[in-house]
Amino acid sequence: MSILANKDTRVVIQGGAAGVNAARRMAEFCYLIKRPLNVEAFVYPPDAGKTNEIPYGSGLIAIPIYRTIAEATKHHPTINTSLVYIGADRAMKGGMEALDDPHIKVVSMITEGVPEKDAKLLGAHARKLGKVFNGPSSIGIISAGACRLGVIGGAFDNLVLSKLYREGSFGVITKSGGLSNEIIWICSQFADGITTAIGIGGDAYPGTDYVSYLEMFENDPQTKAVVIVGEMGGDLEERAAEWYGAKKRRVKLIGVVSGFCQESLPKGMKFGHAGAKEGMKGEGSARSKSDALKKSGAIVPQTFGALGPVIKDTYQELLKSGQVKEIIEPVTLPKLPKTIEEAMKADEVMVAPLIRTTISDDRGDEPCYDGYPASELINKGYEIPHVIGLLWDKRLISKQEAEIIKRIMMLSADHGPCVSGAYATILAACAGIGLSQAVAAGLIMIGPRFGGAVTDAGRWFKYAVDNKMNVDEFLAYMKKNVGPVPGIGHRVKSLRNPDKRVKELVGYVKSLHIKTPCLDFALAVEQVTAAKKDNLILNVDGTMAAVLVDLGFPVDSLNGFFILSRTIGLIGHWVDQKRQDSRLIRLFDYLVNYAAPKRREVPPLK
Amino acid sequence: MAKVLEGPGMGLMKKWGIHVPHYVVVTSADELSKLGQVNDWMKQTKLVAKAHEALGSRFKLGLVKVGLDLNGAVAATKDMVGRQVGSITISQVIVSEMVPHKEEYYCAVKSTREGAEILVANCGGIEVESNWERVKRLCLDVGQTPSPEQLEKLARDAGFTGSVAKKMADFAGKMFSCFDNEDAQYLEVNPVVTRESDGELIALDAVTLLDGDAKFRHPDWNFQFAAEFGRAYSKNEVEVMAVDSKIKGSVKFIEIPGGDTAMLPAGGGASVYYSDAVVARGGKLANYAEYSGDPPDWAVEVLTEKVCSLPGIKNIIVGGAIANFTDVKKTFGGIINGFRKAKGDGKLKGVKIWVRRGGPREREGLDAMRALKDEGFDIHVFDRNTPLTDIVDKALQK
Repeated sequence: MSILANKDTRVVIQGGAAGVNAARRMAEFCYLIKRPLNVEAFVYPPDAGKTNEIPYGSGLIAIPIYRTIAEATKHHPTINTSLVYIGADRAMKGGMEALDDPHIKVVSMITEGVPEKDAKLLGAHARKLGKVFNGPSSIGIISAGACRLGVIGGAFDNLVLSKLYREGSFGVITKSGGLSNEIIWICSQFADGITTAIGIGGDAYPGTDYVSYLEMFENDPQTKAVVIVGEMGGDLEERAAEWYGAKKRRVKLIGVVSGFCQESLPKGMKFGHAGAKEGMKGEGSARSKSDALKKSGAIVPQTFGALGPVIKDTYQELLKSGQVKEIIEPVTLPKLPKTIEEAMKADEVMVAPLIRTTISDDRGDEPCYDGYPASELINKGYEIPHVIGLLWDKRLISKQEAEIIKRIMMLSADHGPCVSGAYATILAACAGIGLSQAVAAGLIMIGPRFGGAVTDAGRWFKYAVDNKMNVDEFLAYMKKNVGPVPGIGHRVKSLRNPDKRVKELVGYVKSLHIKTPCLDFALAVEQVTAAKKDNLILNVDGTMAAVLVDLGFPVDSLNGFFILSRTIGLIGHWVDQKRQDSRLIRLFDYLVNYAAPKRREVPPLK
Repeated sequence: MAKVLEGPGMGLMKKWGIHVPHYVVVTSADELSKLGQVNDWMKQTKLVAKAHEALGSRFKLGLVKVGLDLNGAVAATKDMVGRQVGSITISQVIVSEMVPHKEEYYCAVKSTREGAEILVANCGGIEVESNWERVKRLCLDVGQTPSPEQLEKLARDAGFTGSVAKKMADFAGKMFSCFDNEDAQYLEVNPVVTRESDGELIALDAVTLLDGDAKFRHPDWNFQFAAEFGRAYSKNEVEVMAVDSKIKGSVKFIEIPGGDTAMLPAGGGASVYYSDAVVARGGKLANYAEYSGDPPDWAVEVLTEKVCSLPGIKNIIVGGAIANFTDVKKTFGGIINGFRKAKGDGKLKGVKIWVRRGGPREREGLDAMRALKDEGFDIHVFDRNTPLTDIVDKALQK
């Protein structure tokens, strides 16, 4: 048996993230004791109608979220307990709502920093209704082998170490959350463990005090002794002593109190929990509490450290008198499934990776490009073209190569508003579309007719050079198998009106006196084609392509140079339109040749 | 609990209809002179000047001057402002009207588990302290408001008769309204006096403790809470408080000058048991500290730096119970960073560090602490199998 929380306890959790975390901890405990999850519902208006996914074993359980307690208990009439994880400013309202619901018998409030008056009102309201209000600032309640409310008991390993999977003989009541766990652990090591442990919270006026819970423990035959961990301040320990001393009690009471250090501290200096405040006339001091407990017949160890041996002695006595029997531990206990990360760390699983990368890694404190830390590249004078070299071709290019790439990018960064890419971006910007989508609209235009010929041009020039074709053979091959030569021809430029960008780039590359077989071949092709037709010149795509192939970049990366440089222009156009607050535009009718059929009657639908 | 100085405390009482003397809070003699030119009462009545700081026994320290005229009050203000008393520099003086009176009474409202208690006595000043049995009480449940009949009975029980009984009942009722509506935890007026000019009861001195947790519903609490120690907070304490107000969970730090055992334990409950253990062992605490509620590691790091900066420390107790949800590895990470920084700054020479902890990721956290040995720290690490406060015994073994 246990008190307050048992196998029939069904819970609604009021609150958001902290409540979900508590539900996870509770699910771990339910899994350990092989029982279904005891959380039935959440109440959290911002997420009402959704569900919270709570891991249970290796699966996930969807727990519904409601707007109000009434909705939750209507759909889940077995709910009898509420845990309040709502902020201090709204905690009282939430607590009252739970207390007022006829289904709910126990409300435990985890919220810290609840105004004293609110806590008293909640406590008084619960007493009036004959219900239990536990907290505020409570770490929770746990009944070994039966029910966990809140995060009390700690991590899964600790639940096992503290033998919380099965019942013992000791009840525990503490104000402090951390110490509740400590005492549970001590009870499991020096005795047979706990029945129920309750955190009543460290506030000055907890909703339910030691005495109410001592009464419950007294009436729980499984509980043979109760450990209370007190603090200076208030009179809860004195009241507990008074209760214990009032008549012969079945349970043994073991009590420790903290705050003796106050006696040797500068006057007025106080610390610990909110409730740990000595009264004005010395009442509520650690000594007066400790003396009161001793006088009542409780076992009061000298220090916290002596608590273990005292619990051990008590347990031995209980064994000797036959009130408790030695517990035989279960042979196997469920193990909490590990997450993939944990299992991999322990070398327990092997995972087939989903993707493979060979270019970059940012798992350390900074990204590495092909193994080189970004900051080191910066500090050693490397620039954007080198990063392109590392990420696109996995090699550290030379200063000279970087300069060529830089020039290529500068030459193709933008080509005015009228070309397909820029126009599409401007159109999108005028329609109020955001930056990334508008730039994407421009990028979508890049293809066989606009800017997307670099890769193809590079591919065929390289094919010709690799196969040692002469210009005539190449043109014949292209005519037969491919069509017009990519990289050759321009809409407006011609031999008489040359593309200055091409001139500039070719001039620079030639001035470097490096080997440029592809470029040389492309220029030779131009000689032949331009002689046939004035505008069949080597265009900027073809020039870039030939140069980049000569630099050794893979053919498939070539369009990337145009995409990357033109993105600079597209962003510029979007920002430009935004800056001007441009209005929505549409085509004028006179720019459209309406070649559709004239207006006519719609025939009846057959 | 949050202490409020007399000025704002009287302000709250006035708000609930309690008569208080005229008063001003000034930060310089100059300010008082200027106020004296426009406030007639300062020229017409005798004045009292008191240092407006969280100080006990101001009378003995010469920080209360009575029976002054305006010039006298200006001189007293000039004398008090800037005076250093312990760690407190007096920056404010409250100057109030002196109310001629014969009788002194007592009235207080205090928080109880059930609700509140109204205390009334027909003697006041130091007389009430030596005649505590003359204080009569009215106990009220939370949510309950005292009726005029109950209040009058209380006044009569305390020995008030005639019209004063009615006035005292009314005064106590207003005190309760102030207490209840302002989320007070303790209100005390000692003495309550009868103003000779009109026979009204006046609150001559106010002790006001408010519930700091209720600040969210009192937008007009535009005053600072005062330290409850009878001393000002130190720079390091204020810095830790600033961190505490910003984070999930909490970090706390209070310096105790002259100690040699530094405390860096986890948990509001365990930290006091650690302090007790130090005192029981005959050690001298250099501070109180505590972190809890899974605070961010940087906050614990700040706390650690403050602890390491305490002068003359020989041991640091990094204790803690078995945490429920505070991540031991993460919070210890903060402590380790703090230790490293302190060591880099030349601190921690000859200081022994004692660690005991359990909780989520305890093994990783404790291993990381143990590894500090290789960096030259004099560190001793124990796990959950060593009882909570045994590290204090080990540290203070002679």
